[in-house]
Amino acid sequence: MGYFAESFTDLYADGAWIDMGMYIGSGSSMPGWFTVIASVMLVAILVKGNNDEQDHYK
Amino acid sequence: MEDQILALTAELAAVKSAAQVTNTMFAEAYYYLTIPLMVIIHAGFLLYEMGQTRVKNVLSSGIKNLLAFAFTIITFYLFGWWFYWALPTFPYDLAAGAGYMEISGIAYASAIALPWGDSAQYMGPNMGDHSSGVFWGAFALFAATTASIASGALIERIQTVGFVICAIVLGSFAWVVAAAWAWHADGWLVTEFGFHDFGAAGLVHAVAGFFALGVLVNLGPRIGKFNADGSANKIAGHNLPLTITGLMLIIVGFFGFLMACIILPGEGWSWYGDAGTTIYGTPMTLSALAFNICLAASGGIIGAWVFTKDPFWMMSGCLAGIISTASGLDIYFGSHVIIISIVAGMLIKPCADWLEGLGIDDAVGAVTVHGTIGVFGVIMLGVFGSGTPALGAYAPEGVATVNLFGQIVGAGVMFLLGFVPGYIVSWILNKAGMLRIPDAVQIQGLDAVKVPAQAYPESMVSDESDSK
Repeated sequence: MGYFAESFTDLYADGAWIDMGMYIGSGSSMPGWFTVIASVMLVAILVKGNNDEQDHYK
Repeated sequence: MEDQILALTAELAAVKSAAQVTNTMFAEAYYYLTIPLMVIIHAGFLLYEMGQTRVKNVLSSGIKNLLAFAFTIITFYLFGWWFYWALPTFPYDLAAGAGYMEISGIAYASAIALPWGDSAQYMGPNMGDHSSGVFWGAFALFAATTASIASGALIERIQTVGFVICAIVLGSFAWVVAAAWAWHADGWLVTEFGFHDFGAAGLVHAVAGFFALGVLVNLGPRIGKFNADGSANKIAGHNLPLTITGLMLIIVGFFGFLMACIILPGEGWSWYGDAGTTIYGTPMTLSALAFNICLAASGGIIGAWVFTKDPFWMMSGCLAGIISTASGLDIYFGSHVIIISIVAGMLIKPCADWLEGLGIDDAVGAVTVHGTIGVFGVIMLGVFGSGTPALGAYAPEGVATVNLFGQIVGAGVMFLLGFVPGYIVSWILNKAGMLRIPDAVQIQGLDAVKVPAQAYPESMVSDESDSK
C-alpha cells in the first residue's frame, strides 16, 4: 500500500512521472482489493437499507 | 544549409508536439465539461420528479432520485463500463470476440475496463492517459440519465431499495448492452443492420422508457389513480412550476449529453485528423447540433401546445422533440427537424392517454415521452435517412448502410432490452416483497413514515396525509 514511488529523485530524474498510472497502489494488487472492499460495502449498505425500510413499513 | 534544414526540422517537430498537447488538452477538457452539463440533467430530473409528487411524498421522491444517480455511477465503474466494451459482437459471436476495429470483446474489455489488475491503470489517475477517465465519466452520466428517466414513472409507491436495484440493472446493464450493440463501431446492430442512433433515442430513451413499463406492470398504480370502473383520476403534483423548471434544466443538460456523442479529431482514438465524427465514425459538426437541437426543442413545444395548452405537456413536448430527432441530429436538415419534432409533440398526449386507458399509471409520462417517442425517432431515421453510411473510415467491405428495416429491427431490440429486464427484475423484487410500498403507508405519506425531515415544515401539508 502507499504511494507508487519510493524515491522522488528517481521519479523526476528519469521522467517516470509522465506516462504512468499514479494512484495509490499502482502496480500492485491493492486496487483490486480496494474494489473488493468497495463492492462488499455497497452490497452491505443495500442489505441494511432494505432491512431499515422494511422496518418502517411494519 | 544542412544545419538550417536540421534546425527547421527540429523546430517543426517542436511546434507539432506543442499543437498535439493543445489538441489533447482541448479534447480532455471538452469531454470533462460535458460531465457537469449532464449533471444538470439530474438537477432537472430531481426538480421534475419532486414537483410531480404530492407534498406527503416529496422528499421520498428526492431520495430515490439521488440514490439512482449514486448507485448507477458506482456500479457503472465496477462493471457497467466492462459490459460496454465486452459485448458489441455478442451474440453474433457467442464467444464475444473482437470486432473489425479490434476495440471490443471480452479480452479487450478485461484489459481496459476492470478496476483491478493491469486494467486498473485505465481506471484511475494516469499521466499517460487523457481519455479513459473523461470517456468513462461521460458514459457514467449517460447511465445515470437512463436510470433517472425510469425513476419518474414509478414515484409514490415503489420501495427505495427495490428501485435502486432496478436502477442498477437499467443503468449499469440493460442500456449498456444496447449501447454495445448499437452505439459502438463493432456493434452488431451497426455492422449487420446499418443501425444509426447518433443521439441515443433508442438505446437510452426507448430502453429506459420501456424498462419503466416493464416495472410498472408489476408495480401497479398509485392508490386512488383508478376507479372501480377502470376510469382514471388525475393525481396532480404539488408544484407544477418546479416540474416545468426541472424539464427546462433537462433540456439544458441535453446539450451536454449530445455534445458528448461526438468523437473529436486529431487524437490516437479519433477517426480523422481534421474532422469530428459520430461514434460510428461518420463525419459531423457541432454546428449540426446547434441547428437541430434548438429547432427540435422548439418544434416539440409547439406540437404539444396544439392539443394540450398545458405547460407540463409543452415541456414534455420539448423533450419529445429532441428525442424524436436524436437518432439523426447529425444529418437531418433543420426544416426536416421542425416537421418531425412537431409531430412528436402532437403524439405524446394521445399516446399517454392510451397507455393510461390500459391501466398503466405512468406518473410523469416517461413511457410515452422516452419509450414511444424514442422508437418513433429511430424509425423516422429509417424512413428519411436510408442510404446514409452506417460507418465511417476503416469500415469493412459490405457493411450495411442505414435502412428502414435495420432501424425497425433496432427499435424492436431496444424495446426488448428495456421491457424484458424491467419486467423480470421487478417480478423478482415483487416476489421478495421489495417492490411496492404497502397501501396504508401510501395513504399516510412516505415522508412521514421513512424520512427524518419535512419538505415544507412551516407551510404546505397534504390534505390526504396524516403527517400534519
